[in-house]
Order: sequence, then C-alpha cells, then structure tokens
Amino acid sequence: MRYVTRRQFLQVAGVTTGIGLLAACAPGTTAGSGVSLVVPTPVPTPAPELSGEMDMGMMRPTGSPRHGGTLRTAFGVTMNSFDIHQGGGTHVLSQMYNNLVRNNLVNGLRTIVPDLARSLDVSDDGRTYTFSLREGVTYHDGTPFTSADVLATFNRIMDPPAGIISPLKAEFTFVEEITAPDAGTVVFHLSAPRAYFLNVLAATTGVIYSEKSLQENDFDLREVIAPGTGAFRFVEHQPAERWLFERNPDYWDAELPYLDQLEMLHVPAWSDRGTAVLTDKADMSWNVAFETWEEGDAREDITANQLPNFGAYWLFMNNAQGPLADERVRRAINLGVSKHNLKAAFGTQEVINITRWVPQGDPYATSPAELAEMPGYREDKSEDIETAKALLAAAGYGDGGFPELEILSASGPQAELLAPAVQDMLSRNLGIPTKIRIIERASLGSEQQQGTYELMVHTRGHGVSDISPRGNLWWRTGGSQNFGSYANPTFDALLTEIDDETEFETRKAQIDEAQNLLDENPPEYLIGYTYHLPMWNNKVKGLALDNRIFAEWGRMETVWLDV
Amino acid sequence: MRQYIINRLLIAIPTLVGVTILIFLAMRVIPGDPLQTIYSESTGVYILSEEELAEVRASLGLDRPLYRQYLDWMAQVLRGEMGYSFWTKDPISHMILRRGPISAQIALFAIALSWLIGIPIGLIAAYWRNSLLDQMSRLGITVFLAVPSFWLGLLIILFTVLTLRWRPPLTIIQFWEDPGANFSLIALPSMTLGLGLGAATARMARSAALEALYDDYVRTARAKGLGDMLVIWRHVFKNAMLPVITTTGLALGGLLGGTVSVEKAFAVPGLGSLMVQGMQERDWMMIQNLVLVYGFIYVFVNLIVDISYGILDPRIRYG
Repeated sequence: MRYVTRRQFLQVAGVTTGIGLLAACAPGTTAGSGVSLVVPTPVPTPAPELSGEMDMGMMRPTGSPRHGGTLRTAFGVTMNSFDIHQGGGTHVLSQMYNNLVRNNLVNGLRTIVPDLARSLDVSDDGRTYTFSLREGVTYHDGTPFTSADVLATFNRIMDPPAGIISPLKAEFTFVEEITAPDAGTVVFHLSAPRAYFLNVLAATTGVIYSEKSLQENDFDLREVIAPGTGAFRFVEHQPAERWLFERNPDYWDAELPYLDQLEMLHVPAWSDRGTAVLTDKADMSWNVAFETWEEGDAREDITANQLPNFGAYWLFMNNAQGPLADERVRRAINLGVSKHNLKAAFGTQEVINITRWVPQGDPYATSPAELAEMPGYREDKSEDIETAKALLAAAGYGDGGFPELEILSASGPQAELLAPAVQDMLSRNLGIPTKIRIIERASLGSEQQQGTYELMVHTRGHGVSDISPRGNLWWRTGGSQNFGSYANPTFDALLTEIDDETEFETRKAQIDEAQNLLDENPPEYLIGYTYHLPMWNNKVKGLALDNRIFAEWGRMETVWLDV
Repeated sequence: MRQYIINRLLIAIPTLVGVTILIFLAMRVIPGDPLQTIYSESTGVYILSEEELAEVRASLGLDRPLYRQYLDWMAQVLRGEMGYSFWTKDPISHMILRRGPISAQIALFAIALSWLIGIPIGLIAAYWRNSLLDQMSRLGITVFLAVPSFWLGLLIILFTVLTLRWRPPLTIIQFWEDPGANFSLIALPSMTLGLGLGAATARMARSAALEALYDDYVRTARAKGLGDMLVIWRHVFKNAMLPVITTTGLALGGLLGGTVSVEKAFAVPGLGSLMVQGMQERDWMMIQNLVLVYGFIYVFVNLIVDISYGILDPRIRYG
C-alpha cells in the first residue's frame, strides 16, 4: 500500500477529470423558440489541469467573497423522488449533501477534490481505495457522520433491498466490497482498477446519506427529504414552484457557504428562464433559450456561456434484422448523413455539439480541429457520400433496390425537424427510401426495449463522461441497454482493456482505437451532443461559470454575490 | 326558483360523473407508459425492468382493476382529497387550492377589464352609429377578436422584457400576502385576456344597444321627456346587458377553468400552468382532477348566469 499525498491525490483526480451530469440535463422535448442562424463556436476539448490552491478540499473562489444574500435560480425543479439514488433531482437536492470526493467548483470542474473524505490511499495494483474521513462532521439533524454512513449508502446502491430502484448500480459493478475498519475509514475493494472510479464517486449523484435516515425509512427516501451534511439546509418546498435552502451554520468548512439563502424557482420553459435572468427575477440559470441567451450575451450586466453537456440526440439503428444488420449499410448511413446539416436543421431548438463517441468535456475526446477533417464528421460530404454509395453497392444495394425503412420519432421538434432532415439526406445522398412514423415520446422507450423499430430518432444521455460505463451498457455484445443488438467482438475485447487500463496515454490510444472501430462498424448514428447555455447576472461569482469544461447542474456552496 | 336551482344541481351530477368517466378512460388509452416516462426522465440512462415497472405501478395503485381505480378516485374526491400527483407525490387538492386563487383572480380581473372597456365602447358606438367613432371602435373590435390571446401575451411579454426589463414574478404571491406583488403577477395576463374579451363584449353590447335604442319603450321614454343619459342608463343599458352577461358567463367558465395559453405565455403559476405540467409529465391524477374542477366550474358558472337572467329581467321566471 502506498500513501497518496494531497498533490498525488489531485494528480490522480486531474487525470480522471470528467464527471456525471444530471439525467435531467439530457436533451428533452421542451423547445425554445425563435430562429437564429448564429450558433456558439465549439469548445475545444480541455486538457486536465491540477489545482494547487486548495487545502484538503477547501474550495476558495477568486476575488473577495462576501457573505450574505439570497441567490435566485431559474430552471425546472420538480422531481418525482427526493431520493437522489433513486432518480431524485441532484440539481436541487445536492445542495444539502456531500460526496466522498467532488469536482472542484472554483477551477471549472477541472480536478476532483476531497469532500467528506479527508485523504486517500490507493494500493499499488489500483484495486484498493482507502478513504480517511473528516472528523467532526454532523448531519443537519445533529447525527455525527461516520464510515457506517458511507457503507450504508453504497451498499444500498450496489445491493438494493427489495423495492428500491438503483439506477447507479451499473456504475459500481467493479466494486467487490466496501469495508469500514473504523469510524473514520472506508475501503473500496475493486475487482480491477478503474481509471474513472473517482469520477463516479464525484458525480452529483454520489451523495452520502446517514445510516440513521436510511434505516428509519426502510432504505427508501423517495418521499423523505433526508438531512445531509451539506452546506445548505432545507427550509421549504412548494411543489412545482420553488425550493428554499438556508446556510448551514455548522458546515464542516466554516468559510462556506457564502450565501444566506438559496431560492430555486421552478421555471421549466427555457425562454422563461432567460427572461427571468434578463429582468432580474432570477440571478442565474443553467440553461436558457438561445434567443434569450443572445440577448443576455449582448448585455453588459449579464454573462452567457455555452458548455458541453452529456445528453445527445441519436438515430438508433436496429442491428438485429434487415439491411441494418449489415455493418456496411450502417457505415454508409454514418457517412452519408451530414451532422452539420442536422445541426443547422435543429438550430432553432437546441445547439448541437458535433462530437465523436466520446463527447467534449471528457479528456479522451477528439478535438474539434481533428474532427473537422474526419470522414463522417467533416462539413464537405462529397467524398463521404461517394464512399457511402460504394459501401451500399458492396452490400448489394447499388442498383437502387434498397427496401423502405421506417424512422420512428417522438412528436414535437424531433419529428418536425430531425426526422425529415434525416429522411431527406438518406433519400438524396444514398437513395434509401424511408417513411416517418410519429409516436408519443413515452412510447419510444418500450419500442426500443422490444426492438420493434428500424431507425429511431431519440435522446440518450449519460452520467459519467468516460466511455467505459456506457460502452458496457450500450455497445458491448449483450449489454443490458444494447437494444439495437450491436455485436462487435473486436470492440468488446478492446473495451475490456479500456476498462482495466489506468495509464492516461495508453488509455487514450485505446479509446481512440475504440472510436475508430465504432466509426468503421457503427452501432448507430450519433446526431450530436448538445450545449447547455447558462446565463447569469454579473453579481454572481464563485462558480467559475465562465470557465467550466462541461455543464454540471450541481452544488453551489462557493457562490457569492458581489453587491 | 329554489326548485329550479335544485333541478339544475341534480342534472349537474350525471354531467360531472360523465366527465370523470371520460377523462379517466381517456388517460388510460393514450399510448405510452407514464411510469416509464417519469422514471426515464428522472434517472436518465436507467430503464426500468418489467419487474421494477410492476413494482412502481403497484405502489401507485395502478395494478388494480380499472373500476377499482375509478371508484377509489371518486371516493377521494368526495372526501375532498383528490389523491396525489404521480410525479411529485404531493396532495393535488393542496396544489389546486394554492393556485386556484391566482387563476380566479386573472379571470375576474379579465372580466372586469372587458366590461370596463367593452360596455362603454359598445354603448357609445351604438349611440353614434356609423360615425367615425363607431367605425374606429369596430375596427378595434375586429382586431382584438382576431388576435389570439397567447400571441398578444407573447408580444406583451417581449415588450416588457426588452424595453422595460420587467416581467411578472415567477412564484405565487397571494393577494393577502402582498397585494402589490400579487397585482404585478396577474396584471398582464388579465390585461391580455381582458382585451380580447372586451372586444367580444363591445360587439355584443353595441348590437344589443342598437336593438334597444329603436324599441318602442325607448321611444316612449324619450317622448315622456327623459334625457338621453337617463334613457340609456335606465332602459338601454339594462336590456343591452342580457346578452353581455350570457357572453361573459360562458367566457368566465372558460377563464376560470384554465387560462392555459396565457398562463403559459407569462409563466404564471396558476391552474393552467399546472394542467400543462400535468400533461407534459403524464400525470394522470393531476389531469383527471383538474378536468373535474373545470367541469364543476362550468356547471356552477352556467347556473349563476341563468339565475342572473331572472334578476335582470323580471319577465323571466323559472318554474
């Protein structure tokens, strides 16, 4: 066993930068309005950085932070569960809790810093993580924080009792056991090293509940706002209206939070979020409508930014039958349908971020400059279309005899804009005839699970940006969410290597190769990830919103108001 | 009159029961599983297994036979509970009681505004028939009748946001908590609705007043030497009000039942916004109960309108 210093801890964290986003951040059907042909320029893939200005996870924003005031936010704050591990809204509830480790709010989420963990030892083989916990931390109800809470929290995630739905379980499949040698220490035993393990723990979903709360509520917190150790305490919740939190005077970091209160207004429509900030009815929003974003961007008292997000639009392909079972046909579609055209077609709704299989915001992503030259991703399609036609000919569809395919789409902007654009390019560029069937969004999921589709325009997002967890769910042969029945033994073998590799450069090369494999033999068509468009009044400081490498709708204890 | 009211209330019962059955069944034949939607929206990548889906369905009582679900809902309604939202698990009655006053205020202010604008314009236009004033008022009436209220609302909100840098508050502020802030919440939606409704009222008032102005009793009143203002106030106005009240009654039912598009345009947290949210989240219980409330309001308002006829026109008697 080797001891990891704070600097080493930060280096490990820096290498594995990238974090989960809320499920709520995945693209939805709520549409903004208005038309604009101007879209933000792509954000280059960030290089991991180290933070040298922290002391044991004590995040300190730049400037001269002041205590006091109420921050008013504007975004949707309804949720069907208060249990973060059962789908509860982390964008609201995470204010009340701490993780073991977390993304650094003051350097744009570029590093992972200690939270309830004070320090970390990692064994030489990378399979044992020993966390020393902070002392003197209490929950909002006065209960002391101990290792038993960590144990109870993660055991419930990994081995949920009957009746508990654990969406996070799939992210911890490599954790064999968690032990607590004493009240201040927790040890995670992994079946194999995982480069992204800290990212999973640092996700906004990785909060620690008290063992007491879990036991008192039969391990089901869906209808309980359980006390946390976090910087803010719960005050009031008016359903579909607002949440109110107040400063936790007993927070373990005595400097934080700076705010007295945090008022989260329920503003579901993107345009209303934007007008709320523009008219000073709210101080900030994580994502606003593009036309209001432009208005804010032009104002001196307001700042607007664009951040890569881990929700994406896809054209799913059923690999199990018909022409789409042939990888040459899937590859031809990937080459023949222009992502740039789809981005333009959907520009009135959401700003599409063209990426490969690893999105920007993840350290392994392909840079926009490289992407601009790559087949399938470049703007000039002439060469790609020729290649695609040759592939179709090789697959036996060179004489225009391609059977008609069905494109399934949810009603709304996806059916009105994306599906027709795909249909047009398939027809004009490749001679593939299609018909569009529009169904309720709620029905898409079951059609997908049952495999009763050929092509489907739909959304899908992920929590952790690393390719391993979702690669195993979505693209590994027999993966639990591999609804398109994709099977690629070469990819499977490479994915196993990626899973176990921890050295950054080696892993980068492996992931590049995996993306090449997915380009050559694609399981589906990635239309693109989306950008989130945060906007805030200039008096809002301390969240590094202008410097983040990806969108995270999470904690705010470092925010302060410059008034 | 009492017997008439009792009869109307008795007739209302099967009407409301029919509404509940229709909406209950409609919610269940719409394709797509709301539970799958709710969980996939909140957990993102996670997709419920059949077993988990069955468990959640059972926890919400949706595994019971349809007739049991319906009867349980009706029992809850009779107890004044209305059940719980699928999405937030909050009592629906609480949400309706909290938001209802805002929607009611918007509706009543809109009606008041429509009368304040519509009746004088209608009477003036009728009195100076075919004058420039009449022509202008008719043009205005046509414009405001043609413009959809949600579009007018969007124009107004755009104007206030871009030029005044102001928009209505986003949270519920009840009148008894802060009358000024409450007024700022309801003013623009009321104005938007009131302008359209005012145009309809003005048109109705004008035509009714025109009819009354040439009736024998008006000529007789003038022959008796009564002044124009007195004739209009005593004889024309009262008679012109009957069709106005009918129009207003029907409109009030619609407004109280849900100013959906206008509430949405201004992001006002009223019953209309709640309905839109219920539909987006496929919250069956929310939609069912709101439709029931709307049905009740329609029946009640229609009854009030019928009763008011008898008060305004002594010739009308209900047996």
